Amino acid sequence: MRQILLLCASLCAASAAAQDWQHYGGDPGGRHYSAAQQITRENVAQLQVAWVHRSGDSEKLPAWMENTSAQATPILLPAAAGESLVYCTPFNRIIALDPGTGAQRWSHDPGIKLEGERPFRCRGVTYHEELRVDAGAPCRHRLFTNTHDRRLLAVDALTGEACADFGDNGQVTLHGHGQPADMISNSSAPLAASGLVITGSTVVDFHYARAPRGTVQAYDSLSGELRWQFDPLEGHAGSGGANVWAPMSVDESLGLVYLPTSAPSPDYYGVNRPGTNRYANSVVALDLASGAVRWHFQHVRHDLWDYDTPAQPILFDWNKHGDSVPALAQPTKQGFVFVLDRRTGESLWEITEQPVPPSQVPGEIASPTQPKPIAPPQLLDSFLMPQQAWGLTPWDRGDCARQLDELDNLGLFTPLSEKLTLMLPGSLGGANWGGGAILGQSGVLILNVNTAPFTGRLIPADNRSGARDARDHPTAGQRMRVPMQGTPYDVEVGTLVSPLGIPCSPPPWGKLVAVDLVRGSILWEQPLGSIHELGPFPLPFHINWGTPNLGGGIATAGGLFFIGATMDRQFRAFDTESGEVLWRHTLPMDAAATPMTYIYQGRQYVVVNAGGHAMFDRPQGDYLYAFALDSQ
Amino acid sequence: MRLLALSVLLFTAPVFAAEIQVTDAQGKPLAQAMVTRTPVEVPAADLSDDGYAPHGVTNVSAVTVTRFTDAEGKADIIAEGKFSYRVRAQGYQDAWFNEAPESVALAPMNQTQLYASYPSNVWLSQVDFDGDEALKHTFQLNCAFCHQQASPFMRNERTIDQWVSIMERMNTYGARLPEDDIEPVSKILQREYRELREHPERVPAPRKWEAHLSEVEMTEWPIGDGFSQMHDFLLHPNGMVYVGDNLFDRIYEIDTETGEYTVYKVPHYEDAELGGILGNRFTVFPKMYNYMGVHSFAYSKKDGNIFITPSMQQALLEFDVEKKEFIIHDMPGGYYPHTIRTDDQDRVWFTLALSSQVAMFDRSTGEFTLYDLPARGFREWMVLKSLPLIFSIDPENRPTPSPNRESTGLPMPYGIDVAPDGSVWVARLYANDLAHIDPDSGEITMIDFPYEGPRRLRADADGNIWVVAFQNGLLVKYDPREKAFTRYELPVINELPYALNVDRDRGVVWVNGNQSDTILGFDIATESWKVYPMPRQRFFTRDIEISEEDGAIYTSNSHFPTWQSEGATPTLLRITPLEE
Repeated sequence: MRQILLLCASLCAASAAAQDWQHYGGDPGGRHYSAAQQITRENVAQLQVAWVHRSGDSEKLPAWMENTSAQATPILLPAAAGESLVYCTPFNRIIALDPGTGAQRWSHDPGIKLEGERPFRCRGVTYHEELRVDAGAPCRHRLFTNTHDRRLLAVDALTGEACADFGDNGQVTLHGHGQPADMISNSSAPLAASGLVITGSTVVDFHYARAPRGTVQAYDSLSGELRWQFDPLEGHAGSGGANVWAPMSVDESLGLVYLPTSAPSPDYYGVNRPGTNRYANSVVALDLASGAVRWHFQHVRHDLWDYDTPAQPILFDWNKHGDSVPALAQPTKQGFVFVLDRRTGESLWEITEQPVPPSQVPGEIASPTQPKPIAPPQLLDSFLMPQQAWGLTPWDRGDCARQLDELDNLGLFTPLSEKLTLMLPGSLGGANWGGGAILGQSGVLILNVNTAPFTGRLIPADNRSGARDARDHPTAGQRMRVPMQGTPYDVEVGTLVSPLGIPCSPPPWGKLVAVDLVRGSILWEQPLGSIHELGPFPLPFHINWGTPNLGGGIATAGGLFFIGATMDRQFRAFDTESGEVLWRHTLPMDAAATPMTYIYQGRQYVVVNAGGHAMFDRPQGDYLYAFALDSQ
Repeated sequence: MRLLALSVLLFTAPVFAAEIQVTDAQGKPLAQAMVTRTPVEVPAADLSDDGYAPHGVTNVSAVTVTRFTDAEGKADIIAEGKFSYRVRAQGYQDAWFNEAPESVALAPMNQTQLYASYPSNVWLSQVDFDGDEALKHTFQLNCAFCHQQASPFMRNERTIDQWVSIMERMNTYGARLPEDDIEPVSKILQREYRELREHPERVPAPRKWEAHLSEVEMTEWPIGDGFSQMHDFLLHPNGMVYVGDNLFDRIYEIDTETGEYTVYKVPHYEDAELGGILGNRFTVFPKMYNYMGVHSFAYSKKDGNIFITPSMQQALLEFDVEKKEFIIHDMPGGYYPHTIRTDDQDRVWFTLALSSQVAMFDRSTGEFTLYDLPARGFREWMVLKSLPLIFSIDPENRPTPSPNRESTGLPMPYGIDVAPDGSVWVARLYANDLAHIDPDSGEITMIDFPYEGPRRLRADADGNIWVVAFQNGLLVKYDPREKAFTRYELPVINELPYALNVDRDRGVVWVNGNQSDTILGFDIATESWKVYPMPRQRFFTRDIEISEEDGAIYTSNSHFPTWQSEGATPTLLRITPLEE
């Protein structure tokens, strides 16, 4: 009986914890998984809108809305912290809602500087119970967020008031504060663990050889004092970046924080940063207490493709042949999923050194090989030959074939040159910040993948003809030329499309993939998204050829995978076993965010931020949608 | 420039030599450990012509030297100067040093590392295509003549669709895998590679490196870059080695004494197009300069001039080694000049691979004679006779027959040699037959080859014809007197030999390896083999030349694409017997 009680207690505790969503990625390891199973394959067709919340940003800041991307994933606070559903808007307003009704309980506006070209976005806030503060005192339960203008804020989870004991009346200024947000800013939520709050940064892409450093900083979660910092590019004075813009993960039992580091600057030229740039494009495991490097795994050496580590490292148990290994799955832009032993950084699949083409840029020494896991397979085909050109008509297919025939194209890791070069995947991925969801203990990962081709080339900087762009990423269907200051080149990138504006590759242009990380194989693939709204006028029926997608999905014990992310305003539920679409709902805007789910007062809700994405050139808004089954 | 080169060499040349001691972790001497010495500083080079040396410009190659340890685990390789050293041994982890170590203790590989270190051939040997031997042979014929199969990056998990995409892409580059075979091969590779990864214990260990290795020195001259393809070459009586860059219309004249190399750019007619009359199959490659397509080399015993087959043109190239000038001899017909040899009458013989012909260029008259090799049937005859019409059509719109397993329409005369009696022998790769041409009468005799994939052949001093059977992985001897074939198993499993050469003075047949990173020496008298591992991995060889003086052999790393080979740069390799 004692064993049964213990077992029950254990299961109940696990169940209760799993039905919360207290972390951006569902748990500290970003599994995007919930044990909630009220909504199932069988009843998901009855899923309805439970409530809709609007942040008010559209009304208050209409002039700035077109440069926003609503990417927030709310978290559900524990009962002791007020049991609010909390999220942030692109302008870093923190809003607490009643989880059952969506009614606002409080909000906190940090009053960020509104300037520049960088899209406003905020992927989430972080909850932390500060045990050094007395129970019942203000800011025992605190929320952290970092702002567009490089501040780290601490507010009381119950009231939204600034935590006076943290930094300067509830805020500290982060590395790079004072520089324009176009140079350095924030997007992902900070990470809180073991009395620390750890922050990364977003750093300008493309424009500068010496972009701001990608220094990661760890602050005391009570006082806001800086405890340690880590510069992934220490020793490379001529470069910058290698920042951590995607969410981090933590394993407190191992005392490790896992950093997904990005490309060093500038993205497409590396003469100024010779060598592998070893901590860039890596998963870097730091000692949580000291910030010392415990191990690192670099998945792109001497990056020349903007292949940042784009997604939160996913911590899970890799069960094979009766052994359970604490593992880490890292989806990448180049379309690989690396599976590592998260204690040591050793790959659990053999890493093969893939020989890759050399660079033709004077002085550029590209890495002769790049690491590739022997399994699972690449999630997309990174070759596209003229014979594979696709078009709606023979005319635009022929035009695509002509374009492809004129491109340089030696597959993945072909360095850019002065000739137009195929980039497949481009800087959008493959995978991106939406990451993926692990199905319980199965070792099966479901993630969304982009497959549309891009092209790019280097243009000698003395060739001054042609307009330059202040943005750092092209919007859908457009080309962009930016100077790479401090290098001899500008870079031009854009999508590879036919004269009709349609990608030159066969559909799908976005897809959902289920990968068995233990067997190393793909279980199923499905197109993700319909193009019916992407033509000159919307069509009344869906054409499921997949769309570019940003934002992620979540899996539940109900056998479902929920995801927006597409350019068709749809929020979908897929069957995790078959990949079949079981339910969808049309939102007012694209949901370029990762949803979350929770059970509140006995009812399971699925919530998603629907506000569009500046990069997709689609309407923006300020919606938060909650779905649930009819009340029991 | 030559003075400068010499001074560089003098500065870095070994003025003394010392030994390195290689042991295992317990201090036990390791015999047959491979030790490679590489200059730390690469000599400055003028590469201003699209990454290559301009015409007539001389640069110096960063020469590497490799030796193997003897029974005491010692190799005499340490040299004065700035060199890095790499130590390899089967079953042990590689070790690198930026300065000369006196001794090296190698750590053993773990089981995963050991399997991963195995060369392609042993992995490929276990891909049995569900027992469908014919399908495996078709796969090997079409997919293994450019690069190694079953190498670690080939064994990567791929979906069936990804494999199909690869095969279709390779067919656009020049492979001829029949359409009906693409999906079955894709399914098999997807499944059988996975099974092998899950059961690597099924993969046999590669052949052990043997004691004779400590009796040779390997020297490599890196030339060109990752986009080059150093195909065939020639050891000239003037002591120079002439290497052809098949993709960039350049020949490299290498002085193996000094390390200097001079590049000569092959001219082409003003109206020539990239890819020549065949059209450019590599439009997506970042750079390509193969208007002529430098392929195979032979020299005139009369004046030393070099004759080169330009595969992409209806022509023969002559290079005057004294004046350093090229002469283009236009041909009256024929397509795809391929392998070339000269005879004692100063006649130049070469195969015309596409039109199934053999050409003879008589230098005394300046005339070409074309010998038609017979078609295998009416359909093939029609195809061959239609070639002039087909080639009159612009390459972009030219119809291309779908390949089938018999390669109908493409018997492909490939290797050629002139026997000691002056008769000419030819192998037809896809037709699986040999042709004998009597140069006096012009009579052609066809002989069925009882194996598959006769690529290149050579005659020995006794007039026997030695042929490699590519798909079968065999060395085959044909005795014209007895009209008898004898097969010899190669000493490494599932090797796919591309070419061979015969050291007529010493009675040794040298066979090119390409899947096993080896060169194979067959002693005719004793019918015994010696195997020589290559100093780099993914070392794909297509030609062998032999030094009459000391029996040294030359080969080149001709992997395509070159960047997939270890080091990503083509090299000319010499294996020299060490003096006692």
